[in-house]
Amino acid sequence: MSQRRNRLVAAPLIAVLGLVALAGPAGASGESVGACMADHLLELVEEEHGDLGHVLHDEKVQENLEKCFEAPNPILPETNEIIWGALSFFLLFFFMVKKGFPAVKGAMDARADRIRSDLDAAEQAKIDAKAVEADYVSRLADAKGEASRLIDEARGAADRLRADLAARAEADIAALRERAAADIESSRQQAIADLRAEVAGIALGAAERVVQASLDAEVHGHLIDAYIDEVAGSNG
Amino acid sequence: MADPRVAGYAEALFAVAVAEGDLVAVEDELFRFAQALLANDDLRTTLTDQSVPAARRQQVVEDLLDGKASATTSALVSMVVAAGRAAELPAIVDAMVERSVASRNRTVATVRAAVDLTDDQRQRLAAAIHASTGKEVEVKVVLDPSVLGGVVTEIGDDIIDGSVRRRLNQLRESFR
Repeated sequence: MSQRRNRLVAAPLIAVLGLVALAGPAGASGESVGACMADHLLELVEEEHGDLGHVLHDEKVQENLEKCFEAPNPILPETNEIIWGALSFFLLFFFMVKKGFPAVKGAMDARADRIRSDLDAAEQAKIDAKAVEADYVSRLADAKGEASRLIDEARGAADRLRADLAARAEADIAALRERAAADIESSRQQAIADLRAEVAGIALGAAERVVQASLDAEVHGHLIDAYIDEVAGSNG
Repeated sequence: MADPRVAGYAEALFAVAVAEGDLVAVEDELFRFAQALLANDDLRTTLTDQSVPAARRQQVVEDLLDGKASATTSALVSMVVAAGRAAELPAIVDAMVERSVASRNRTVATVRAAVDLTDDQRQRLAAAIHASTGKEVEVKVVLDPSVLGGVVTEIGDDIIDGSVRRRLNQLRESFR
């Protein structure tokens, strides 16, 4: 800020110095050679009380007139110009200090504040972006972890399901085998029983026919007598 | 004797037989006729056919029993058949026999055999049953060829099976 203020002060000083140092000869006096000579002559005449001839032959006068052909000081302006110029300068400087500088300073400060605000906003945005990025990375990591966990769970569930199905299939196969074996055994036993019953029926049929053929009246009598004896022998 | 109608007819037959003074003979003849009726499907069908006139059925009965049974027995059977109770005649006769035997303080022993028993065998069997069970019984023989040989005696709910059929059945069971 102070550097900027120094620059504001130095600029008009440099302009003043340049103006003083580089001022032209014409700009210095502002009058012609003839007027210069006339002025000198009139002054000498007044000093010599009107004796123009004497003045023209005086060597000193000649030297003064020669001076009119010489260029005025190229740097030093006329005194009034210096006064007016200085007055104007200081007026301008005062005006600049009082009005221009605060306005410029306010604009500069506002711009600096705006830039600082923009920088702060940019910094905040950067921080926010980094926070968002960190959050995104964190969420991405969480998502990856969740996805990995879900995949593991799904794989585990699939393994368990496969194992259950395999166990159930094994159990079903074992049950079917057992049932088939039981059916076979039952059928075998039934076949044996049927065969035995068939054989028994055939044998008993043959035995019945033999008995019927062998039962005559005498045998009937013996059977009845034996029955009576058996009933009499039994006691209750 | 759960059916009151059967019991009523049995009581009527018993009363008539007692009134005629020939209870034992009538009882025996009725029992034999009932067994014949059970053994003969054609006879049973004829006597139980309601489409056949009652007079015709009575005539069949009289023709069958003419000269083989007493007039009382023939009249009683004819009466039952005419009343349309031929199908219940075996049960009626069984009830009447039981009632008759009970009147003599005895019990019926129904004996099923392939051949008829002699009087001596009947007496010895009755004595044997009395010795065994303590009951005074009257033996009623039912001819049953399915018995093959030997005797099956039924006294109320008690059965004494000494038949060849039972032994064959035991043999059949032993095969299983």
